[in-house]
Amino acid sequence: MADALDSSTLPQATLTPPRRSRVSAIWLIPLLAAAVAIGIAVNRILNEGPTISILFQSAEGVEAGKTIIKYKDVKIGQVTAVELHQNYSMVRVTAKIDKHAEGLMVEDAKFWVVQPQVTLSGVSGLSTLLSGNYIGFEMGKSSKPQRHFTGLKVAPVIPIDQPGREFELSASDLGSVSVGSPLYFRRLQVGQVMAYQLDPDGNSVSIRVFVNTPFDHFVSPETRFWNASGLDVSLGESGLDVRTQSLVSLLVGGIAFETPSSAVESAPAAADTTFVLYGDRATAMKQPETISRHYVLYFAESLRGLTVGAPVTLFGLPAGEVTDVGIDIDSATTKLRGRVEIVAYPERIVSDIHTVQSASAQAMVQSPEQSHAFFQRLVMDRGLRAQLRSGSLLTGQLLVAFDFFPDAPEAEVDWSPKMPVIPTVPSTLTNLEDKVSSILAKVDKIPFETIGTELAQTLLTLNQAIEGIDKAVNNIDADVTPELKLAIAAFRRAMVTANKVIKNTDETLLGQDAPGQLELRDALQEVSRAARSLRVLTDYLERNPSSLIRGKDGEKP
Amino acid sequence: MAAALTAAQAGLIGCEHCGLLVRAASADEPGHCPRCGSALESRRRQSIERTWALVIAAAICYIPANLLPVLGTTTLGSTEYDTIMGGVVFLYTSGSWPLALIVLIASVMVPLGKLIALGYLLISVQRRSSSSNRERTRLYRMVEFIGRWSMLDVFVDTFTVALVQLSPLMAVRPGAGVMFFAAVVVLTMIAATTFDPRLIWDAGGEQES
Ligand SMILES: [Zn+2]
Repeated sequence: MADALDSSTLPQATLTPPRRSRVSAIWLIPLLAAAVAIGIAVNRILNEGPTISILFQSAEGVEAGKTIIKYKDVKIGQVTAVELHQNYSMVRVTAKIDKHAEGLMVEDAKFWVVQPQVTLSGVSGLSTLLSGNYIGFEMGKSSKPQRHFTGLKVAPVIPIDQPGREFELSASDLGSVSVGSPLYFRRLQVGQVMAYQLDPDGNSVSIRVFVNTPFDHFVSPETRFWNASGLDVSLGESGLDVRTQSLVSLLVGGIAFETPSSAVESAPAAADTTFVLYGDRATAMKQPETISRHYVLYFAESLRGLTVGAPVTLFGLPAGEVTDVGIDIDSATTKLRGRVEIVAYPERIVSDIHTVQSASAQAMVQSPEQSHAFFQRLVMDRGLRAQLRSGSLLTGQLLVAFDFFPDAPEAEVDWSPKMPVIPTVPSTLTNLEDKVSSILAKVDKIPFETIGTELAQTLLTLNQAIEGIDKAVNNIDADVTPELKLAIAAFRRAMVTANKVIKNTDETLLGQDAPGQLELRDALQEVSRAARSLRVLTDYLERNPSSLIRGKDGEKP
Repeated sequence: MAAALTAAQAGLIGCEHCGLLVRAASADEPGHCPRCGSALESRRRQSIERTWALVIAAAICYIPANLLPVLGTTTLGSTEYDTIMGGVVFLYTSGSWPLALIVLIASVMVPLGKLIALGYLLISVQRRSSSSNRERTRLYRMVEFIGRWSMLDVFVDTFTVALVQLSPLMAVRPGAGVMFFAAVVVLTMIAATTFDPRLIWDAGGEQES
């Protein structure tokens, strides 16, 4: 049929002037695509941050492609690889750091793995329950860039940008202090324990503490630090007085400091100053002596009853203490004699001097030459001598008393040896006898019967108090601790479950029947329940701290 | 059998819009349809040039489509970005290799296959190759047919993003790769329609079986 078709009968197409030929606009599409792709690539390359490696002892919960690095809760990088390193003893974590955080990767930057932790001083890293472990970061002070780091085992206690000052405390033992233990000033928490270590000689422990600004201005060279971990129970006129710095310090230990009111210097102490850590407040505040003078006394009589620590008095007022009791041979006469070393605290005497004269006395104490001359004058002109005296008739305790004996044979202080020798006078037995007889006369007049009944009553009260403490101690075990234990146990259980669920999330949460969703919900409920009960407990303890001692209301012993 | 007379050889042209068979004004410039007035085209205008442009654009987009993440999954605070190949590897290592194979074929092989097929058709037409015309036509039909179905990945991705929003437990967000992926699919689909299969048969007398 095709041949039969007469093409001339078909309509003729109309003609319009041809369009000018040019390069088709279609080529804009690949150009645009190339521009966008190149733009993205360039952007990627420009935003490429450095890759760093961190060595950890263990990289618990750190996963390549998942774990992120956070600084101030802002993501600054992501872990790209986790592998064993150095004979399999370390873990090397490789991470890609975001461009904006490149400047943070300096020599003394710190990294550590953050995971949930429940300690008595608090719960930390709770957010990791939901987001998984992450790597914490702390800025360094250096400006020297670095790409290889060694991770910390635990998070640093004090952020580097926290203003404040570090001090060193020297203690005979660590007590219950640990890293993170609070530091108190007038019962306010003003700092923390940062680290501790045994001194190389093994004789003491040095503890580094950090005092936050502005409280660091209250630490002066005369400030006393003491271990505030325990209960300070004293029986005074006002009854039983129980003091503690805080509930937390009872549990995790703590250190308190205070500057004695008698302190002369009030300028803040320089950072890294070393202080002595005293056992308790009484000991810390009792020894305000920064100036101490050592002397030697020789006695030709029995030293029975004189012990190290026995008081040294001046006019019956405390002026020092005995530091050593022994014997030696007098090189001149080759006779044995008792040798007693004492330490005197001139400032203590000065503090007893009337205020009008204390300034000049203080100046004299500060200058050894002046005080030596003054002391020599007292000995030579006025007859100042040391004498052994009986401190207690019942126990036979002796003390060293300084007094004036104008009739005593002439003598002077021997400044030549390392410890100056002060002349002594023998103790007077008649003096003692007189005293005994006069005391006996007085004893006759004592109404023993009345005292006896009063004493019995007092003992009864005391007994009750002791019983009370006994019960309190039992209650600490019976009432409070189990709750705390239960709460913590529940919390830990919840966390273990949550951790497990998070680990399995990928398999379970995306699965068809998704058992993980159910498990996760249960776990989260458990966590919130545990958190609630822990909060209730801490709230209760905060409102009724005495319940630790007395037990809960309604269960009064 | 002798080569069949083609309309172009007879100086005739069919209007693509109203179907009127007309005599072309001239071989170079067919003119306009006298009935409906639309431009007459013996062969689609600049078919090869346009198809090339679209195929090249699709090829450029294919690279970021595979390198950039297509899906961002936020599970309990931590976000993970997956590329298509990453997803394939994940599916394979987690044991569901048939699924991995499907994703690999649908998302990686098919777009690549379309690009290669279109490139091959363009080159063979430009070289005025006259062999295996039927096979090439079949290949063209396949490319055209697959085009309708190759948006599947983009749809799956979009649906996933829309459905999985269990914030804060889990959330899924589209990645930049999806845009490029969609661009590859759309560009290859347009390229397939821009390509004029009649060009295959233009290269002289074909050998019919
Ligand atoms: Zn028409």
